[in-house]
Amino acid sequence: MKFLGLIVKNIGRNAIRSILTALGTMMLVFVVTLVWAILAFLNVALSEKNANFKAIITERWQIPSQMPYTYASTLCEGAATKPDDVRPMDSMTWQFYGGSIEKDRAKRGMNNVLFAFSLEPIKLLTMMDDLDNLPSATAAVFGKSVKALQDNRQGIILGRTRMETLKKKIGDTFTIYSMNYKDIDLEVTLVGEFPEGRYNNSAAINRDYLLAAMDAYQQKNGKPHAMANKSLNLVWLKVPDSATLGKITAQIESSPLFSNPQVKCETASSGIAAFIEPYRDLIWGMRYLLAPAILVTLSLVISNSISISVRERRSELAVLKVLGFRPNQILTLVLGEAILIGALSGLISSCLTYGIVNFPPPYGFGGIKFPIAFFAAFSIPLAALWWGPALGAGTALVGSFVPAWGARSVKVSEVFSRVG
Amino acid sequence: MPVVSPVILALSLSEFQHLPTRLLIALGVALAIVLVLWAVCEVPLAYNVRNLTVRWKTTIMTALAFTLVLGLMTVMLAFVNGMHRLTENSGQPGNVIILSEGATDEGFSNLGFSDVGDLENQPGVTTTADGKRLCSRETYLVVNQPIENATRGGPQRRFVQMRGVDDPEISGQVHGVTLLPNGRWFSSSGVQEVPGETESAIEVVIGEGVARELSRGRSAEVLATAKNHDRLEIGDVFKIANRNWLVVGVMQSSGSTFDSEVWGKRSVIGPKFGKATYTSLVMRAKDGPEARKLKDLFKKYEKASVNPLLETEYFESLSQINKQFEFGIMFVTVFIAIGGVFGVMNTMFAAISQRTKDIGVLQLLGFGKIHIMISFLLESLVIAFIGGLIGCVLGSFADGLTATSVVGSGQGGGKTVVLKLTVDAISLAYSILLTLAMGTLGGFLPAFSAVRLKPLDALR
Amino acid sequence: MQFSTAENAPTFPTVWRHKKVVKTSAPREQQFSNMATRNVHPIVRVNGIHKYFKRGSEKVDVLNDLTVSVPEGEFLGLMGPSGSGKTTLLNLIAGLDRPSSGEVWVGDNLISQMSESQLSAWRTRSIGFIFQFYHLLPVLSAYENVELPLLLLPLSKSQRREQVTTALDLVGLKDRMWHRPGQLSGGQQQRVGIARAIVTDPQLIVADEPTGDLDAKSAGEILNLLEEVRKILNKTIIMVTHDPRAAERADRVLHLDKGRLIEDIVKATTGSV
Repeated sequence: MKFLGLIVKNIGRNAIRSILTALGTMMLVFVVTLVWAILAFLNVALSEKNANFKAIITERWQIPSQMPYTYASTLCEGAATKPDDVRPMDSMTWQFYGGSIEKDRAKRGMNNVLFAFSLEPIKLLTMMDDLDNLPSATAAVFGKSVKALQDNRQGIILGRTRMETLKKKIGDTFTIYSMNYKDIDLEVTLVGEFPEGRYNNSAAINRDYLLAAMDAYQQKNGKPHAMANKSLNLVWLKVPDSATLGKITAQIESSPLFSNPQVKCETASSGIAAFIEPYRDLIWGMRYLLAPAILVTLSLVISNSISISVRERRSELAVLKVLGFRPNQILTLVLGEAILIGALSGLISSCLTYGIVNFPPPYGFGGIKFPIAFFAAFSIPLAALWWGPALGAGTALVGSFVPAWGARSVKVSEVFSRVG
Repeated sequence: MPVVSPVILALSLSEFQHLPTRLLIALGVALAIVLVLWAVCEVPLAYNVRNLTVRWKTTIMTALAFTLVLGLMTVMLAFVNGMHRLTENSGQPGNVIILSEGATDEGFSNLGFSDVGDLENQPGVTTTADGKRLCSRETYLVVNQPIENATRGGPQRRFVQMRGVDDPEISGQVHGVTLLPNGRWFSSSGVQEVPGETESAIEVVIGEGVARELSRGRSAEVLATAKNHDRLEIGDVFKIANRNWLVVGVMQSSGSTFDSEVWGKRSVIGPKFGKATYTSLVMRAKDGPEARKLKDLFKKYEKASVNPLLETEYFESLSQINKQFEFGIMFVTVFIAIGGVFGVMNTMFAAISQRTKDIGVLQLLGFGKIHIMISFLLESLVIAFIGGLIGCVLGSFADGLTATSVVGSGQGGGKTVVLKLTVDAISLAYSILLTLAMGTLGGFLPAFSAVRLKPLDALR
Repeated sequence: MQFSTAENAPTFPTVWRHKKVVKTSAPREQQFSNMATRNVHPIVRVNGIHKYFKRGSEKVDVLNDLTVSVPEGEFLGLMGPSGSGKTTLLNLIAGLDRPSSGEVWVGDNLISQMSESQLSAWRTRSIGFIFQFYHLLPVLSAYENVELPLLLLPLSKSQRREQVTTALDLVGLKDRMWHRPGQLSGGQQQRVGIARAIVTDPQLIVADEPTGDLDAKSAGEILNLLEEVRKILNKTIIMVTHDPRAAERADRVLHLDKGRLIEDIVKATTGSV
């Protein structure tokens, strides 16, 4: 600690070099943080939980999964028919409704479309990832939004980014012109907002409204809507353990009720894994090519800067040695300098990245828009706040070790005038 | 093949004449400026090169940073290139694809069964020598295949793109797909009895990409007797939806999305997966302009509501994901490059501070400030160019490697594809421009600071 | 500036003292009373050292069978032409280098046998260095430069402050202690160098051409200061110099040539402690 002042002074000595090194570090840490954020998110999505995990039921063979809505109630019970059949702890149905607030088809684009989960509102609080374990203050606020959606079946809840892109505020009423349910346009009122985070771009509507609209279509046209038999996309179940899941899967897959089309039941992570599988080479490249190459570049930049700095101060380092600084203390001074620059600029970088990337537009990016499977945007996890300093410090340590070792072995006798 | 990377590089260089004019001009101007600077600079370049070799460790470390950045960029561009080629190669200029109204993707399209006959009989559709209309009736679907011997925690199944067609020879002609030698199209029944099995096997022809993909995860016993360890061959069998699928032909790789598809008899595949209708109709007009006319004709078609598209347009719309990847790659490259620029600035500032005396001497000897500045700028460009060029060479080793990815419109759906990483002249031109830009940015400020020194101060 | 008498001389509140180093020398004086040089026990004893360097395949002798003894409290000058080996001798005594053969004792320590890290630790506590080109760290203030060697000792911040201000006071730069080297004249920088040399209260101060880079006036002031330090703090000083005026201030001057001692002049007029 006594050396900290000395280290700081040395960093300040060549301000331009330190700033350039820090800026370089910040840029590279920024990119690695982005890449790692995506990988970390996928890791979490793919990791199997041991208890109280979720399972998804989808159409067995075809993508996209489109099941008749008549399957919903039985599937939500895990196809339990007999008293001793196993039932899931909780369940949720998903219907995807996509549309635009722009009537003119030619003018439709990312600024006016939305994709909504049509579901039973209360499930937003119990079955949705990350929304089922909100901090109590946020949960209370979001609970009010859900209640409003429950009470008003023509309500809609939007994420903040989507709200801002669509230029809507709570209380606004507008029409969504459907893109996948032909002629089923919905008139909705914005009643609430998703908590800040992964649902920033999402939308949720009350399933009762969509179902009622389909019924109204049938009455008006005398025939069912083309999507009538295909409107159930996903059923989510919550199960206590994998034994239960096994039993429920067996109940569902042996049931004669689900023959056309057939359905399958699997853990959420295994379902997601199938979607991510086509991207495996891309993910491999990000993990083993891109990120490491950037880290090597970063340590080169730092190494270069530190070797220059050591070369310029050889005689000073020799004086320190003459004054009694031991070789390892010299090593510490040089490494400390590199690590301090690395860690600090890494910290600044990851804080900025966290803020700029996660904050919704116009202040930030509203997540990393990288189209892998159905993930629209990735946000930077809180853990990234320590990745930055760790990355900076780690690469600095690696990069500065050789020059620092050189500094350690400067010859003390070099400092005296050469006349003797 | 990767082993001949330098050759590919050389070939790509010879391809430079095919570059888009603006890119070519940009590259030409950049190189010309460098050459002019070199020519007019009174300070001999040897002075700088000598200095680079004297402090060779710093030089190598700086150049290595360029190598890494440009190598990465070359590989990443090769990936995007591969995706673009795939979608470009998939659409035939004379083809019109008919989807149901509102559908933008084959996977979401449903054409009325009865409408198809009338749709194909419109004028403008070309015919074969024996009078058959060049019109492919298709049912496209994506199905799940459980992966045999899947690793725990890994993916348990994969998506397979299937195209059920009525007349495979016509469909092959429409899409420009041919079979590898020894293969044949599936029979008119679409199935084949297998001795000893109660249920017949479904005959299919498969693309080379999916042949490789489906061969992954085969058990050791199967592999022991397999004709080819890397991909399925004619006569091999795979399982989907509890049925055996027999490979009777392999489609010749055309660098299109069809390389990643399984084709079978529509009347077998459709009902198997509960899809009774056609998803799309692809018809061949005489040429591009005729295809446009045909498309306009269908725009006014009233018997059924359809969405006609030029096939090239359709595949263009599927490159939306490519564009997002491309943006991502550019974004990442720019930031890595900026990081690298800071690194080279450090090197150059240090080089100049070590040589303040030299600068003083040069100024006293009468070398103009601008020449000293150019000399340092060239020094940084030399590092950048050499480092960057090595990066391009190393990066072009990726040429020809295959990778899986997804093409699509970015709104759900999308096709799993096997693409070939492609290093071409365009991406190399971009890489070289980038390295020169980095060298200039990194060298300019230090070079400018060098000439702000007063000669006597510099000598002190 | 200076302290003219021993009464108002500063005392260093040092707390880390070497146990081995005996500062009160009376009993040992008697012990060594039969020594040839002076009636004080020697703090530095160089016994028959050889030092050679290898230049390619050639062996170049720098010091040849040299024996020197320096009593405690002596101001010793080392003179000689370039290549005579005087800086090498200084390096050996200060523990910056090791002899090819022979022994170097400083106090009770046989430093010619010490390991690199032992030497480092020993140097901090026992030797103060003064250089021709001052060798102050440009980024640190005068105060911080003087504090530098104290960072290596187990001292609290307040203890360090006390030591540093005492040393800077002694060299007359208390009012400039927050200036950086670049803001000080050459003479002032060298005074900071001297303050840094004495701040650890070492047994021995070695100076390498301390006036070599200074004008006559500043050089005179520095030499005065060195004499004060010797007198008031009772330090032993070994100074390599080319400058005859500097050599005049020494109690004794050793002339070296080609690695051998050719002259040993003891000045009768020099006041002893």
